[in-house]
Amino acid sequence: MRHKTVIVFILLILGIFLPSVMGVQRFPKPEFESGYVEPETQFPVPRAEFLAWMDVAVLLLSLSLATFLVLKKRSRLGVFWLSLFSLAYFGFYRQGCVCSIGAIQNVTLALFSGSYTIPLTVLFFFLVPLVFTLLFGRTFCAAVCPFGAFQDLVAVKPMPMGAWLNAFLGMIPYLYLGLALLFAATATDFIICRYDPFVGIFRMNASFGMFLFAGVLLLSGIFIARPYCRFLCPYGVLLNWLSRFSWKHMNITPAECIQCRLCENACPYDAIDFPQTKKDPAGRRKQVNRLILLALLLPLLVLGGAWTGGLIHSTLSGVNSKVRLARLLQTASVSKDQPEPPEITAFRSSGIAQQQLMAEVATIEHDFLTGSRIFGGFIGLVFGMTLIGLVRTPYRTDYVPNRGTCFSCAKCMDYCPVIKS
Amino acid sequence: MDKQNRRQFIRTGIRWILFGGMALVAGDLIFRKGEPLFGKNRKSGPTVWQLDPAKCIQCGRCATNCVKTPSAVKCTHAYSMCGYCNLCSGYFKPETKTLDTGAEKQLCPVSAIKRTFVEDPFYEYTIDEALCIGCGKCVKGCGAFGNGSLQLQVRHHLCDNCNDCSIARNCPSGAFSRVQLTDPYLLKGFGKKNL
Amino acid sequence: MKKVIPDMILVKFLRLMAVVSGFFSILLCILIIINFIQLKRTDPLNTPALASIQERFIKDPGNTALQQDIRQLDLLARKAFFTSQRQIRSGGYLLFASLLLLVICVKSLELIIPKIPSVLAAGPENPWRRRKIQRRGVIIAGICLVTFTLLLAWITHQMLTPTAEITTLNATASRINSNPEGPEKQTSVASTASDSGNLQGNPGTNNITFAEGFPAQQEIQSNFPSFRGPGGNGIAFQKNIPVSWDGASGKNVRWKTEIPLPGYNSPIIWRDKIFLSGARENKREVYCLDATNGKIRWTADLPKIPGSPGQSPKVTAETGLAAPTLTTDGRRIYAIFANGDLAALDFDGKIIWTKNLGLPKNHYGHSSSLIMYRDLLIIQYDQSGSARVMAFTGETGDKVWETSRNVKVSWASPVLVNTGNRMELLLAAEPDVASYDPATGKELWKLACISGEVGPSVTYANGMVFSINEYSKLAAIRLGPIPSLAWEDNEYLSDVPSPVAINDIVIVVTSYGVVVCYDAATGKKHWLKELDKSVYSSPMIADGKIYVLDKLGTMHILRADKTLTLVGESSLGEGSVCTPAFGEGRIYIRGDKHLFCIGK
Repeated sequence: MRHKTVIVFILLILGIFLPSVMGVQRFPKPEFESGYVEPETQFPVPRAEFLAWMDVAVLLLSLSLATFLVLKKRSRLGVFWLSLFSLAYFGFYRQGCVCSIGAIQNVTLALFSGSYTIPLTVLFFFLVPLVFTLLFGRTFCAAVCPFGAFQDLVAVKPMPMGAWLNAFLGMIPYLYLGLALLFAATATDFIICRYDPFVGIFRMNASFGMFLFAGVLLLSGIFIARPYCRFLCPYGVLLNWLSRFSWKHMNITPAECIQCRLCENACPYDAIDFPQTKKDPAGRRKQVNRLILLALLLPLLVLGGAWTGGLIHSTLSGVNSKVRLARLLQTASVSKDQPEPPEITAFRSSGIAQQQLMAEVATIEHDFLTGSRIFGGFIGLVFGMTLIGLVRTPYRTDYVPNRGTCFSCAKCMDYCPVIKS
Repeated sequence: MDKQNRRQFIRTGIRWILFGGMALVAGDLIFRKGEPLFGKNRKSGPTVWQLDPAKCIQCGRCATNCVKTPSAVKCTHAYSMCGYCNLCSGYFKPETKTLDTGAEKQLCPVSAIKRTFVEDPFYEYTIDEALCIGCGKCVKGCGAFGNGSLQLQVRHHLCDNCNDCSIARNCPSGAFSRVQLTDPYLLKGFGKKNL
Repeated sequence: MKKVIPDMILVKFLRLMAVVSGFFSILLCILIIINFIQLKRTDPLNTPALASIQERFIKDPGNTALQQDIRQLDLLARKAFFTSQRQIRSGGYLLFASLLLLVICVKSLELIIPKIPSVLAAGPENPWRRRKIQRRGVIIAGICLVTFTLLLAWITHQMLTPTAEITTLNATASRINSNPEGPEKQTSVASTASDSGNLQGNPGTNNITFAEGFPAQQEIQSNFPSFRGPGGNGIAFQKNIPVSWDGASGKNVRWKTEIPLPGYNSPIIWRDKIFLSGARENKREVYCLDATNGKIRWTADLPKIPGSPGQSPKVTAETGLAAPTLTTDGRRIYAIFANGDLAALDFDGKIIWTKNLGLPKNHYGHSSSLIMYRDLLIIQYDQSGSARVMAFTGETGDKVWETSRNVKVSWASPVLVNTGNRMELLLAAEPDVASYDPATGKELWKLACISGEVGPSVTYANGMVFSINEYSKLAAIRLGPIPSLAWEDNEYLSDVPSPVAINDIVIVVTSYGVVVCYDAATGKKHWLKELDKSVYSSPMIADGKIYVLDKLGTMHILRADKTLTLVGESSLGEGSVCTPAFGEGRIYIRGDKHLFCIGK
């Protein structure tokens, strides 16, 4: 016994001088005499693939049901119960992953990266709500998305927001979408998932910051209905675009609008367009001039955006782990007293030449420069187009939902006194 | 009325263009590089997160960065690699002289490794997953002086398989990657046979 | 709207429930946050108290009282950790339940008390006004965004500035290196060459381009400023290097020029100028050649330096009086000779400063080459009894630091490399391979792994240093907090040529002409090639190929790869013991008498 210990100890000392390569058999496997049977290493299996397909099936079914409830049944109560089911299934059971919002990033990464292939189920999660929206409006937001369902639950005292603040905050989702695409395309990070406010609640487990963000959103959600959906959601941007061209969109009234004005206060999301039959008091001339000015300004906005985007490319590329490592390697202090950051230790033991890393980082930085410029140009375009869209007020006789921002939640329907004949 | 019709026509046209665009993106992703995402011979299906023990430097972030508490990363014992040492460098602190199970001698901060006598001079080491926090201290010890049979692995019954793994984002050595669902562990064994 | 008059008792009850559950939720929230902060603050698994007792116990292993203390404290810490986690978890579930109750109450109230539709009191807003306000909102958002972006860009710029220059330079350098076609590189070099050519026409403008300071890494890499290339690591960064020529027929030999005085030092190159030296017993000269045509532009005859020993040192024929290779920082050139004479010259051959370092006590002759770190000239002066390493400012020759070395005489040259997060000066001499901070001369680490009369210098790649010497061993040192020997081998050893490493291979060339390729990580031999000729010149890696020059002047060109591929063998027609220097598309080889320029 003692003898064996000494041998082991000597081997241990020798071990110091041996390279620490994985799987060095320093100690041979013993041959047991007592009939001891070696236990087997357990490998618990992950969630089976068919369950992922079940999620897709549930998504399809609940979307169909939501569409049916909104467009055919016009039942707010049905939508409410369905949204509770979605919250329970996609939220608390599926713990928010993978969701349609986050799938934007998987699709982008798969489009730009040579090594990542997107699982078919995730692609379905991305596409199915888009297709439904293009056909029937944002019924996904109404009752299927767990985020929307959650926020609808807490929206106890929604207050109308001023037009100013609505327009101001309404620009954030474009930024969020642009950044998410940039970071996903450069295989840097999935920021939509990283800053997902509700997933921590679904899991009942998250970092303090995540809970704080969720708390702030939910508390403000008592007075501002669906703050995430309106002022953050990047998927909402896509749905907004598609919904404008939807084939059949829900309407407030089942038949003819009788101009009773009862629905004016109905929408907590400020998504009802009021009738507009008067001519612009400023005159048509001024409107046309403004349009021409903005049309001329549009290329300038795009170019200015691209230029500004180019300026912050090194700020944005700092999120990338390889760029961070390269910067760390160059700024790390020479002093021996401070412990080496694990990134540098890992990099050294990886055996990758610094030149190789630098070459990779140079490519990444270059991609970021291009990407940031496109991102900036996109934001410039969005601002320009939004302003152009705000010049005219189309002639309208009835109270109608705004096809872009309406969540098809069917709340306004209960306010309409008209009964279908 | 004429104006209404024209607007309707444009709207329908754009709708079809958007449908076409979505179909193009979907088609490109599904049939990328001539390897469709479906069918028996597909190259890649659903993925899960796993860490490669060969790249792992046991920095300890698995214990603190997982969205789950305790972490879904646990020490996993590849028994086929274990030397059943009496003086286990994954179990004992470096300076330990008398080999018993006293708390002052254990490397594991939560005492998740059970040491049981098999026969002279061999001891079996098993991991109590309920206690293990995935800090990797024992893994470091075993890798430095032993056979490296203790390895960190994502345990899939605990992992939520987040779309964006929070440990992967903070892993200093890039040891985390998406692996195929059909082959979800990267535990290293001896030789070519993976255990 | 069936039920117009709600059940007042139910409403009251629901309201009460909502208020109670609301307060309960807030209370739970606070408790959970407190618990969380406590857990974070105390971090029971890493308490300093436990760590300090542990340390005491290590020093005093017999102390059973201490042992008991540790056990108790450990149990306490673990209990605290797991209890705290359990509390947070159960608190979370309680919070969830109470919030659920709150939501149910509120939603039921909403259902019971019907909301009466109302019209806007003030009537619908003026749509034109509304649009105007919205436009204003968008414009303000845009202005805020642009301001924020510019601010962010400015802050990042401020933060990155100290290193930004290096980053971009390094990045562009490696970008060019990784670019296989390399047309950008060619044009850029061509343009710098022509720039400097123009400037040479008017010497007065020299000072403008040669600003004081030191060259950037990219500039160093695009030149060949010292023995065995930039940093002395055996790797040249030039491309399109010729692979076949013939000295006898003149094929692919652009020019050859006779060098007046003998010397075993190798040429160095800065832009369009080549520098080397030669010496006889009482004559020491530095030559500057025009790289384009090989004409000797100037010869600087080194005068007698104050303090220079009267007699010439005893050297062997194999070392000679001018063995150390020169070095340059693009501002000046520096030369050292076997008698300890050190000189700095400007690019027109004018002597800037000189000094004598004392007659080296060296039984073969001093041969360690010079190297520059930023604006410091570094000299490895491993002499019998007083081995040391020194640094002088390039501008004035003032000594900046000197570190004495407890080693035997050596003939190896310093290697200066970036090992990840710092620059290290690597020196080899019996008994150590040692590393110094080139800025201060502070010893960073050393490892006893070399012995004998050390001739070959070390080489570095990817966190590993390789040293070799005849009758000793080939040692692979893995760097890290404590550098350690990763593997060693003593089958093929060298007493003159230095090893060279790239990617994951190490190339060793023995003096008797065997080229061996080792796996850098494991020491496994990938291949070996016997040249059957002796070799004194050090192998160089350029353009993905290994250039090994044997003593008879034949260059053996092999692929720098894990598999053995002979790319070509070309003869110079003249013997050589010098290490070749590389320019873009050119090789410069100092033969026994001539300097050859090889290139198409």
